[in-house]
Amino acid sequence: MKSRHVQDIRPARRRFLKQSALLTTGLAVGFHWMPGAVAGDEGNRLAPFEPNAWVRVLPDGTVKLVVHKHDSGTGTRTALAACVAEELEVDPMAVEVITPENPFFEAYIHPVWHVFSTGGSTSVSLEYDRLRQAGATARELLVAAAAKRWGLTPDRCRAVDGRVVHAGSGRSAGYGELVDDAAKLPAPDSVVLKAPSQFRYIGKLRHKRDAAAKVRGRLRYSIDVDLPDMLVAVIQRAPVIGARVDGLDAAAALAVPGVRQVIRVPARPDVFGGNQEGVAVLAEDYWSAQQGREALQVRWSASPFSEFDSESLPGRFRAVLDEPGAPLVRTLQTGDADSAWPVAAQLLEADYAMPYKAQNPLEPICITAELVDGRLYFRGGVQVPSFAREAAKAVCGLDEDSVVIEELISGGSFGAREAKYWLMEVAYLAQQAGAPVKLMNSREDEVRALFGHAATLHRLEGALDGDGRLSALRLRALSPASGEQWEPGYDERPDHMDYSTTEAISAWDFAYRAPHLDLGWVRHETGVPTGWYRSVSFIPNVFAVESFMDELAHAGGRDPLAFRLAHMEERPRHVRVLMKAAALAGWHRPLPEGTALGLATNQGYGSFVAVVARLSRRDGVIKVERLSCVIDCGLAVAPGGVEEQVYGGLMWGLGHALFDRLDIRRGEVVQSNFHDYRVARMSDMPDIEIRILEGDRDNPSGVGELTSPPVAPALANAIHRLTGRRLRSTPLDLTLPG
Amino acid sequence: MIKIQVNGRNHELSQDLASTPLLWVLRDKLKLKGTKFGCGKGLCGACTVHFNGNPTRACQLPLSAASGGQVRTIEGLSENGDHPLQKAWIEEDVPQCGYCQPGQLMSAAALLASGAPVDDASIRAAMSGNICRCGTYGRIVRAIKRAADEGGRA
Repeated sequence: MKSRHVQDIRPARRRFLKQSALLTTGLAVGFHWMPGAVAGDEGNRLAPFEPNAWVRVLPDGTVKLVVHKHDSGTGTRTALAACVAEELEVDPMAVEVITPENPFFEAYIHPVWHVFSTGGSTSVSLEYDRLRQAGATARELLVAAAAKRWGLTPDRCRAVDGRVVHAGSGRSAGYGELVDDAAKLPAPDSVVLKAPSQFRYIGKLRHKRDAAAKVRGRLRYSIDVDLPDMLVAVIQRAPVIGARVDGLDAAAALAVPGVRQVIRVPARPDVFGGNQEGVAVLAEDYWSAQQGREALQVRWSASPFSEFDSESLPGRFRAVLDEPGAPLVRTLQTGDADSAWPVAAQLLEADYAMPYKAQNPLEPICITAELVDGRLYFRGGVQVPSFAREAAKAVCGLDEDSVVIEELISGGSFGAREAKYWLMEVAYLAQQAGAPVKLMNSREDEVRALFGHAATLHRLEGALDGDGRLSALRLRALSPASGEQWEPGYDERPDHMDYSTTEAISAWDFAYRAPHLDLGWVRHETGVPTGWYRSVSFIPNVFAVESFMDELAHAGGRDPLAFRLAHMEERPRHVRVLMKAAALAGWHRPLPEGTALGLATNQGYGSFVAVVARLSRRDGVIKVERLSCVIDCGLAVAPGGVEEQVYGGLMWGLGHALFDRLDIRRGEVVQSNFHDYRVARMSDMPDIEIRILEGDRDNPSGVGELTSPPVAPALANAIHRLTGRRLRSTPLDLTLPG
Repeated sequence: MIKIQVNGRNHELSQDLASTPLLWVLRDKLKLKGTKFGCGKGLCGACTVHFNGNPTRACQLPLSAASGGQVRTIEGLSENGDHPLQKAWIEEDVPQCGYCQPGQLMSAAALLASGAPVDDASIRAAMSGNICRCGTYGRIVRAIKRAADEGGRA
């Protein structure tokens, strides 16, 4: 017997197929399509008005806004709903906001990546215009319907708070009353969007949706999915990277009360970014499954990683960079750096290292899958629906139309939910077990899941002229490719750029100018599976560049702020955040004894940030007193949400500056839980002051990953000022020397 | 049978569950899913409940040890979601992903109920066992102070 839930989400599937047919036969224009062809399904309710993929108005006046982006806590549901609601003239906090029953609707494809995905701090900036147009289209149709009914021209009516009103006669009609008529009208060719000065919600929201459910423990997360006959699976994955199951004795595990099945989960190295081999224990509940797992007897094969030791990586990486023929993808080249070294007044060289890191979302990875009649149903926080399709195809041989997703909010992602090993595993288990399977990671599984942040080494060389100005800068950023798994077409790009690895060091986004610049990425694969981690390659790239800029300023006897400004050209927004952050932190004011400031900056996702860290000596250690942060993100659509993303980013930066470190010894991850994998706690929280500058009101830009990268270099720069000691690897050591 | 009281309701549970942590009894047997799993080792605070009035990591308390005790979970923090802390949490818009927040709220409620002075030091001491990966700590501090100011000790 199959579950009720499956029945519930099936009709949406059928409706989507109808929609697809319409799209492919050319009846749809742009993102509008024929009324009646819907992205979702409203059961037995009569004729909802659905002018596009984001707006539904029911005859009873219920307004539903569809948000097609995954919300892992970043507030996208609120911000994107506000974009539609602003133009539709409804309150985004009051109407219903739902996730699409079918996330594979054509209109939901990421406009840049061309897959169904959420990420890269792009949701608001890339959907801002489109979602406002969606709201405005619906509004104009409703206004036109009312005008027609009243024998007026549409320009004499206007939409207010879910109604269309005609001021002259006092007539008004609720949206629900107008849906039948509106559904029969052709979509307008173009719509007029509100001017920012007319906004009632955009730029003003201080709260997010769902808070009331969250504080009552009522919001449903992946881990809360519960289906009849569901089995809970935990997987003992290869302890040593790349090891295979050599022998398995499941008898003791199967004897544990509640345990039902033991299933070997094969590795799929043929799928890029695939999964590690493992043995799954499926039981009635998580605790029983874990007891069963402890009773498993697994013999693991040797692996090419059996001697792999991450402690040796900085040395190995240096050796790679020492080789003249190291593979290089140049990201920025101006002038001729080689000509500058012989005539320089001063030469500097430094290496900066960062370790592997784990994302560690507080809700460990959890996903439920069920295979019914050739369709694979996923329930949970699926951040990249395209990966669910890929898993279904690779593992179960299902075509992409066979995948159905019930999308739930997730308890944090930070990149963890952009890996796909868990989707492949659960697809396999659903197929093999013949029952709905909920796959759950323990914290230990999460720490050891791999697919975290890559270990890196950056080498910088700089030449100063006699005036302390930068005449030449060379950067070699050593890291594995990351984008390959996610960015279609990577291999076909003539420049072989991996945009996810060269953030902030490319021709279009490097902050500084000098007569001779020679920046490049050295691709080096250790074979350790890595993935995305909040702020991705901005983290090592900004740590290295912003630390080195400080070293150069110091060597040339320049103020670090003045030195940075002197090497920026035509970057007024960037200059402004630096100046404002310096003013906020009292950069030029005298400091008490035993206190120091450090500065760093970053730009990305169309936004700019500067951070000043204030440190002091206290009780034999260095204490992080304060972080002062100024950003320019153009228009802050939901300012309350922007402020918390900035704050959360700073805490994320503090975490990887001071704590995050994943060691691999003899091919095995050393850390296992929060006792040995430290993360930032409230006791680590410094004073944080944030200023969001009023920027370009027509252009909201990304904030989710903006503010963490400058934290580590700001701290390192302040530590140097405080103690004279230059730290070039993270986590930074806050003990005072000698 | 093992008897416990959860949010004022009495439950009798099988002796077979004696060694099962209270967290999984709450979630999987009593279907009270508001209490969250984060680490299984008492390190993150996501599963914090009140056991006989004290903030307790439910993942570390075998059911047998909870026998005869009184348990309060996030579902029982208030009847209608209107505990002063819940109201303050909404007012300060604390939750991001929200996953840690039931545990944060139960830790904070224990602090307020203890009668100890509510200041930066006592908040840090009471709350540093609760991890938030999104970084809501600043707003949590503000919300606790707001609730305390508004007479949230009751």
